[in-house]
Amino acid sequence: MLAKTVTGNFANVIHGLNANHLTDQVIQRSKRMILDTLGVGLLGTSTEVYHKVKQYSKIYSSDISSTIWGHLDFRLPPLYAAFVNGVAVHSMDFDDTWHPATHPSGAVLPAVIALSEAFPQKKKISGLDLLLAFNVGIEVQGRLLRFSNEARNIPKRFHPPTVVGTIGSAAACAKLLALDRVKCKNALAIAASYAGAPLANAATQTKPLHIGNAAKHGLEAACLASQDLQGNKQILDMESGMGAFYTDYSPQSLPTLQSYAWLLDQQDVAIKRFPAHLGTHWVADAASAVRRKLVESSDNLLPLDKIEKVIVKVPEVKYVNRPNPNSEHEARHSFQFVACSALLDGSMSVQSFASENIQRPALRELLCKTQLQHPADNKPSFESLYCEVTVVLQDGNTISDRCDTFYGHWRKPLKKEDLEKKFQSNASEVLPAEATEGIIETVYNLEKVKDCSILSKFLSGQSARALSEKLRLL
Amino acid sequence: MNILWETVTSSFASFIHAVRPEHLTKTVRYRSKRMILDSIGVGLMGSTTPVFDIALQYCRLYSSVAVSSVYGRPGMKLSPTLAAFTNGVATHSMDFDDTWHPATHPSGAVLPALLAASQMLPPSTKPNGLDFLLAFNVGLEVQGRDFHWLTWLFHAHTCTFPLRFHPPSVVGTMGSAAATAKLLSLSMTQCAHALGIAASLAGAPMANAATQAKPLHIGNATRLGFEAALLAARGMEANPVILDDIPGCSGFSAFYSVYQPKPLSTPSDHHEFLLEKQDIAFKRFPAHLGMHWVVDAALSVRNLFINYAGSFSPSLIRTIVLKIPVSKYINRPFPSSEHQARHSFQFNACTALLDGEVGLSSFTESSIHRQELRELLDKVVVEHPEDNVANFDKMYGEVALLLHSGDVLTGKCDTFYGHWRKPLSRESLLKKFRSNASHVLPEEKVETIITMVDNLENMSDSSQLACSL
Repeated sequence: MLAKTVTGNFANVIHGLNANHLTDQVIQRSKRMILDTLGVGLLGTSTEVYHKVKQYSKIYSSDISSTIWGHLDFRLPPLYAAFVNGVAVHSMDFDDTWHPATHPSGAVLPAVIALSEAFPQKKKISGLDLLLAFNVGIEVQGRLLRFSNEARNIPKRFHPPTVVGTIGSAAACAKLLALDRVKCKNALAIAASYAGAPLANAATQTKPLHIGNAAKHGLEAACLASQDLQGNKQILDMESGMGAFYTDYSPQSLPTLQSYAWLLDQQDVAIKRFPAHLGTHWVADAASAVRRKLVESSDNLLPLDKIEKVIVKVPEVKYVNRPNPNSEHEARHSFQFVACSALLDGSMSVQSFASENIQRPALRELLCKTQLQHPADNKPSFESLYCEVTVVLQDGNTISDRCDTFYGHWRKPLKKEDLEKKFQSNASEVLPAEATEGIIETVYNLEKVKDCSILSKFLSGQSARALSEKLRLL
Repeated sequence: MNILWETVTSSFASFIHAVRPEHLTKTVRYRSKRMILDSIGVGLMGSTTPVFDIALQYCRLYSSVAVSSVYGRPGMKLSPTLAAFTNGVATHSMDFDDTWHPATHPSGAVLPALLAASQMLPPSTKPNGLDFLLAFNVGLEVQGRDFHWLTWLFHAHTCTFPLRFHPPSVVGTMGSAAATAKLLSLSMTQCAHALGIAASLAGAPMANAATQAKPLHIGNATRLGFEAALLAARGMEANPVILDDIPGCSGFSAFYSVYQPKPLSTPSDHHEFLLEKQDIAFKRFPAHLGMHWVVDAALSVRNLFINYAGSFSPSLIRTIVLKIPVSKYINRPFPSSEHQARHSFQFNACTALLDGEVGLSSFTESSIHRQELRELLDKVVVEHPEDNVANFDKMYGEVALLLHSGDVLTGKCDTFYGHWRKPLSRESLLKKFRSNASHVLPEEKVETIITMVDNLENMSDSSQLACSL
């Protein structure tokens, strides 16, 4: 069925995609994303921002309820479960990143999982249903990002997850709700009216709410659409529609459903190895390499007092240029901080952002000696940026290293063992071993799982041993 | 003494925090109470619409901490932010709510949140009527200020109707955050964070205007601003300079193409509220404000025509020429839904010509699709004179009937009745309120609300107002 508008075309595709369209690579990649996102979200339940939104959301309890990841002690209505879990996922900036730039999974996964629990008892949502809906949400985001050249670079005005993430969440939920074409269109239109948050709240405690709200509002849009609320049927086509968020906007139709070409097939995500802005991952790898060289040439000790200057060559990205970060949120958005931290410790971890480590004197001293440079050939795009770290010693010697592709980037994806290791390290902070094993097992076999509510049960930390016996595949 | 503020954001936070009831002048009190009354009436009327129904059914899923009243549903309660949402949707559901200059719908973005919040607070800390009125005016002031940074840029030829973002969704959210922060007595820092969090919840594209989703813009503005204040009250932190210009990384400026923020003066001895200088327009019928000019112009030419021909005889008319400003989203030759009809110069002009008035019933399905009206619409051509600026302060409407006989009759309206230059009289405002409210409430309740709002600054417990709805 040929749609005359891009919006109509999107609705047709969201409506028409089914499990048979999922390729092996898309299945494999999206399951990795799901696992990583769950782990990151579980770890995120230990953050201050999470704690505040949890307290806030508790005033909205009701009868219909969905799981709060990592919590057995209370549940929330799907809308607020999506919100809270979404905040958890982005609370430490530890979640996946795509190109063009956005954090795709956090805006979608919390919404579809929360929604999957809201169906009446007789209707079971299978793992494959969940996987398909998830991928619809990812795909829509990727397609929207390609409507503007502006989107290819690291953002300056609107935080992308709040623009495309909200629409992605709406699309994914519309899929899970099996809305008809017209309602899919309306879900997109309604979601647009919730989209868009300014970048200035990045590097503050409010940033995680961007993902939480994207998930929540997309879900709300789909629910309102399912109750027949109507919006602008050409929302994706118009400059005063989704075009409002961009200075250049050229919407295009999606490929034919005949043999659907998923973006995730052509373009994988980057998975973070430590919880900070993606741009800092290049810095960490370059700085760690410089440290190794330094230490080798100095009797296996780091000659801190002999360091005169640290020069970090990165693209110009104002919101990650922070010479003197004070909060964890600022530290996660600071090229300088990560360079110094990696130089001091040899590698970055969750612990690097603990306040003792942010404030330690050796680090502050090194920060004073650090400066950024922005070579003209270093473009602010996750596809092409690089980082070069140079340490200048008092005796005039310099030690340098350059990182073009960090380990975890889509050009050098994390190996299965390392992805699992990250997940385990995160999830085991809040869940017992049987639950973390259960989640890994379930996600790896997601397309064969008959009733995806098992995933939610593991996520809440329910008596996992009893459940793993119940975990029946095929 | 004026303290120089480091940032625009902190000047706003300080204003919200420090302004007192004593700063409200008589004019401001008078005008804002009229706005409150009109807004309630319009909201009550709006509780009869399908869009309201959808919003309500949706919100009822989450009604556990149900303490806040819902327009037109005595006895039903919802959780505070969802009550605000629902009542906000009601307020804007028919495009019947007030409009300001620069263009936005200020009351609907603020009042529902305050009503809901007043019922949320424990009995010992219930805000009195004066606190309520003050918080309401804080919400208006912040919206107006957010917009006034653009006023000096308005040139005669500049199109100032919104093109990208629907203003209530931008400034309205901030206004609601400010108003509820005030009512909840947040600290200055918390007020600043409320604004910062609200910015991340602001902004909806214009394309959903003239659709059923438009009322959600006001619903969400009032609800999400409220949410921002609640989060700030719990210690959530955002960017402390969200209203300032931050090169390379947009704050509130993300919603504007040109952004020149200015600090608010501290209300130490005398703060001049914008409402003092710039009153509001109240609508006489439920349609976009621009329609009111063409309707008054159409009514005047209709009278001329009846004098000329003895009765209104459409067959004598060859062409109807509308002289209107350029604005795509209200230029619709053949609207097919009520939402589109409320945003159509052509539709409103022809309805006025045909019926001699425009009212609630003009926008029903049968009215929209009647044959006589379609025939008239066929005869319409629009012109955009250069001097007709898309700006609620400067625009005009002109309707010319070109008859087959060769004669031309013209009607022009510079200032419609209800505009701030020609405000509705008290009788007219009350008539509108009674007509709206009596659709869903019995007469005694209608009169009670009128009395309460009239005496708002003397109420000891302002939540009584919300309870009476």
